[in-house]
Amino acid sequence: MIWLIILGMAALVFISRYIFLEPKLPLTLSKKTHRFLSYSAPAVLTAILAPIVLIRENTLSISFDNNYLIGAVIACLLAYFTGNTLLTALVSMGIFFFIL
Amino acid sequence: MTVSTNIASANRSSKYTAMLRGALAISPLSIAVIPWGILAGSYAIEVGLSPLESQAMSAIIFAGAAQLVALGMIKAGIGILGILLTTLLITSRHFLYSMALRKDVSPRPLKWRLILGFLLTDELFAVVATDNSKRHKFDPWYALGAGLCFYLSWNFATLLGIVAGETIPNIEQLGLDFAIAATFIALIIPLIKNSSILISVLVSLVSSVVCVLLNIEAGLLISALLGMTCGTLHEKSKGDNT
Repeated sequence: MIWLIILGMAALVFISRYIFLEPKLPLTLSKKTHRFLSYSAPAVLTAILAPIVLIRENTLSISFDNNYLIGAVIACLLAYFTGNTLLTALVSMGIFFFIL
Repeated sequence: MTVSTNIASANRSSKYTAMLRGALAISPLSIAVIPWGILAGSYAIEVGLSPLESQAMSAIIFAGAAQLVALGMIKAGIGILGILLTTLLITSRHFLYSMALRKDVSPRPLKWRLILGFLLTDELFAVVATDNSKRHKFDPWYALGAGLCFYLSWNFATLLGIVAGETIPNIEQLGLDFAIAATFIALIIPLIKNSSILISVLVSLVSSVVCVLLNIEAGLLISALLGMTCGTLHEKSKGDNT
């Protein structure tokens, strides 16, 4: 039964990741759709990270007590002024874990 | 293969460089995911899976959120149908990634499509989609390097969890998810080049927080689509395409 669950899940996950990569799928994306999809990276990544930063213990936390929020603001500033992804990630993590 | 060996050897170094660049780009996320991989391994053992089954989850499914939720459901005695429906809900965001990368990946040979499709996690999409918009050019070797690096990290962490066999206490309180947030911020900020993208980000931010507070299951996908829609509408109204 466990193997059936594993294989079933693997099939679903793989299909969801692969289906639109298949050229035989009869789907031509219009210019409009491409424009829509060009927003996918910033929108999805924001939707993943915002709850991590702003929700602490199931409640909205916008205050100086929320070290995730302070760390995130520092990361925003670093990213804006350096434009260096790796540096931003590492330095803001360092500040978060050792200072905040 | 009809490619001459000369061309092949000339290309080889640039392939390795691209793969290394991908591995480096995803490295903060590969580190951030280690505790979750350990959790996936140790939790599987705790739920009663054999070591082989536990490793197979990470090796074959390769989807952290879906794995952890499924394990919780197995433990609670929920049947396979319920587990698969939940998996479909959690994995639905991958349809979006797949569609966004269709232009770049679908013209490539089957082996490329299969391997990149298999490796297409949130994290891979994050580094590939943001690299695309920087360079206006998709490099499959960069994607492969990043994807493999992340795959190895996830599976190695799972193995550690299986061997350790016990759940890390209070994993949520260690603050390790900040690493994910910090890396995503570092990837998103350079993308915000005009007001439409800014609006898309802000709408997605507010919506995702509201969805989590209201316990809306598909909040991630809803928020992403809402943000994308608002960004597109704003672009249309402004004629803003800098």
